[in-house]
Amino acid sequence: MQPKTPNREDLVQTWAYLEEGVEKIMKDLNSGVDMNTYMGVYTAVHNFCTSQKAVNSSPQTLQNNGAVHRGAHLLGEDLYNNLIGYLSRHLGTLKTDSESHADEALLAFYIREWDRYTTAAKYINHLFRYLNRHWVKREMDEGKKNIYDVYTLHLVRWRCDLFDHVQKHVMDGVLKLVEKQRNGETIETAMVKSIVDSFVSLGLDESDSSKSTLDVYRKFFEKPFLEATTLYYQMESKQFVAENSVVEYMKKAETRLNEEEGRVQMYLHPDIFQPLMKTCQKVLIQEHASLLREEFQVLLDNDRQSDLQRMYNLLSRIPDGLDPLRTKFEAHVRRAGLSAVDKIADEGGDNLEPKIYVDALLEVHAQYKNLVDVAFKSEAEFVRSLDNACREFVNRNKVCKSASTKSPELLAKYADSLLRKSAKSAEEADLENKLTAIMTVFKYVEDKDVFQKFYSKMLAKRLVNFTSASDDAETSMIGKLKEACGFEYTNKLQRMFQDMQISKDLNDSYKAWLEGKGESAAGGVDFTCQVLGTSFWPLNPPTTPFNIPEVIVQTYTRFVNFYNEKHNGRKLTWLWHLCKGELKASYCKATKIPYTFQVSTYQMAMLLLFNDATTVSHEEIEKSTGLSKEYLEPALMVFLKAKVLTLVAPAKKVEPGSSYALNFDFKSKKIRVNLNMAVRAEQKQEVEETHKTIEEDRKLLMQSAIVRIMKARKVLKHVVLVQETIAQIKSRFTPKIPDIKKCIDILLEKEYLERLDGERLGMFVLKVYTS
Amino acid sequence: MSEIKLLSSDQATITVQKEVAERSILIKNMLEDVGEVTEAIPIPNVNESVLKKVIEWCEHHKGDPPAQADDDSDSRKKSTDIDEWDQKFMQVDQEMLFEIILAANYLDIKPLLDVGCKTVANMIKGKSPDEIRKTFNIQNDFTPEEEEQIRRENEWAEE
Repeated sequence: MQPKTPNREDLVQTWAYLEEGVEKIMKDLNSGVDMNTYMGVYTAVHNFCTSQKAVNSSPQTLQNNGAVHRGAHLLGEDLYNNLIGYLSRHLGTLKTDSESHADEALLAFYIREWDRYTTAAKYINHLFRYLNRHWVKREMDEGKKNIYDVYTLHLVRWRCDLFDHVQKHVMDGVLKLVEKQRNGETIETAMVKSIVDSFVSLGLDESDSSKSTLDVYRKFFEKPFLEATTLYYQMESKQFVAENSVVEYMKKAETRLNEEEGRVQMYLHPDIFQPLMKTCQKVLIQEHASLLREEFQVLLDNDRQSDLQRMYNLLSRIPDGLDPLRTKFEAHVRRAGLSAVDKIADEGGDNLEPKIYVDALLEVHAQYKNLVDVAFKSEAEFVRSLDNACREFVNRNKVCKSASTKSPELLAKYADSLLRKSAKSAEEADLENKLTAIMTVFKYVEDKDVFQKFYSKMLAKRLVNFTSASDDAETSMIGKLKEACGFEYTNKLQRMFQDMQISKDLNDSYKAWLEGKGESAAGGVDFTCQVLGTSFWPLNPPTTPFNIPEVIVQTYTRFVNFYNEKHNGRKLTWLWHLCKGELKASYCKATKIPYTFQVSTYQMAMLLLFNDATTVSHEEIEKSTGLSKEYLEPALMVFLKAKVLTLVAPAKKVEPGSSYALNFDFKSKKIRVNLNMAVRAEQKQEVEETHKTIEEDRKLLMQSAIVRIMKARKVLKHVVLVQETIAQIKSRFTPKIPDIKKCIDILLEKEYLERLDGERLGMFVLKVYTS
Repeated sequence: MSEIKLLSSDQATITVQKEVAERSILIKNMLEDVGEVTEAIPIPNVNESVLKKVIEWCEHHKGDPPAQADDDSDSRKKSTDIDEWDQKFMQVDQEMLFEIILAANYLDIKPLLDVGCKTVANMIKGKSPDEIRKTFNIQNDFTPEEEEQIRRENEWAEE
């Protein structure tokens, strides 16, 4: 059966028919829409809009818009206006109804009516689709304001005729509900969510009704919501702080912030996340920031890691929240480092063990590194504060009160103690860890050149004396230094290793050379030597004259001949003070054991004299060895102490005039007796010398930097030159400005630089010397 | 494949695949809004012969991708190209052609409406006013003066 449709040309009849259909959908959608009504309403709209006569029935429309029209006039305005009239009446009723509800009941009413209304709007939009497609489209294309498709029209009417009147009451209901939840009660969150969705839907872009904006939602929901939030938390936090500790408050704030985050996810619009967090952070953190910061030192002092973490998390959420903490943290770490050093400096006195010193530094660093990693999330700025503090207490503490060079010296000594062969050699993995730990301290050392000096000295000793514990460990350590300071820094160290290898090959070919001549191990002397490049090794030639003992002269000259044959024109300097040998003693009466004495070459020369006589005078020894007093006397004392020699009465001590006799009753528990012991005075002197060479090297380093800079820049102001020099040298040590000035003066004197006339600021120009 | 029945204005029942009928946005929306229907859907404004013709078109085009919601792209507007099948389909008497256009408009089948309008446009293209009048059987109700004025106003469009 076809539905009955009204007379297409009669507006009153048509609208009466349509209103009946619309009313049914609006009021009674639950019972469903029957197909006949649906098709009937659609057809009635279509028929009205396509009727001929209707054109004439609304002449005023034609007059009003006639000038704008370019094409055929489309019908529909009457239907549109009638629809508006119907909606306004419907919404007016709702508005009156709403006045009898409040709070949650009002929310329920609003949501129920909103759902019903928007569902109906979708149907009506379909039924009036013909109107949308033609009349509405034409009006909008022509740029008419306030004309919307039928669905949007429903929203617009809702906003004007109902929303504007009830939104405040609705919002009050929402805020009360949320406050209840904040107070710990359970609420029906779906209600709030529905309200949010409704408010969002009402945001229509005036310029393009197909798009939506959040304007309505922001103005009527977000704004009051944030205001209420601020008030609520201001009250709460004020009261809480008055009654609880700061730590408790931080826990509370953390919980509240998490709750609000959850609230957004649960039922608020995601758009509110940023402003809501900002609001909460302002009220909960910013307004209590100074209180929190005051607690920071207390937490540090008591090492409350998790509370520190909490504080970090809170203050990191507000702008510039952490800066004051960093300053405090840096100062705190520095104090911790300094007091740790003070403690061991007092205990250790002058003979501070390098290990104890380095361990003390590392312990402080490890403690606060851990704190930064765990509590402060390894945040870059805190890492920097830690580094600054460590650099301070590593370079300027009680131990290096006299000079900052003490730190690198002790560090290098510690490295030496690890890398040197000893009874309690560390496990390989453990050793590697310790070397890595050294690098941690090394990173903070400002005078890296001092470390280099001591390290290479001690490496040289380890290599020459074959006391290095492990080649792997040595290589690993050099690798680490290279990584930290570059190729140049470790170049010499690596060359030292190479020389050792070359020497090994050299000894082999020397043996072959000897065999070729048919002279194997002549004179019963077993001989090896290392030939080391002067410029790479931090070794000094002997400071005492020395007469080579008869027994080894032959060996000596033969090697010299061999070497000159192989490398013509190279100069060999014999470092007798570093040489050593072994002597077999077959004279002892007390026992049949053939003792072996491990001795220095100097000592060897002395003992060999006793092959020809059992008693030798001080003067004789002095004369035949040619050694100076500083070497002679300590060596003799070692012999006396070990009872290899005895003083011949009436002599009481080692001095000119005394005589020494071979002790035939010598006894020892060990077969190999080490008599080659470094003398304490010698060690101390060496340290001083090393420091002295550092000063010299620094001058050269600064001068070469200055020349390099001037070569590139030709003319430069004094101040700039000083700055650039510092920048270039900083990675090795921190140069002092007066020192740089001195170096500039030296270069002026040497005429490498000249002062330009008329320039009071002091400009320098490089004279290029070609040599 | 579910089927539905349509009831034409002259009370003829036509059975058609749901998918085919849903080329009409009117029917598609209605089925969505009202739900499953068993009785024939009344189509008050279209008679049997036209409805059949429209269904024939829908049948052929049932696999077409659904048109964009508001496809006002230039290509659709400017081109009067019609694909071969549609051209053949539109080879009907003028009466039927206009009926199809009206039905497509009523039933909300935009692509069919386009094809219909393009067909008419092609009938007008390249013809003089007199020829157009003859084609569509239109009486000239302008006075010669009026005609002269219109020509002058539209001179710019000549050539």
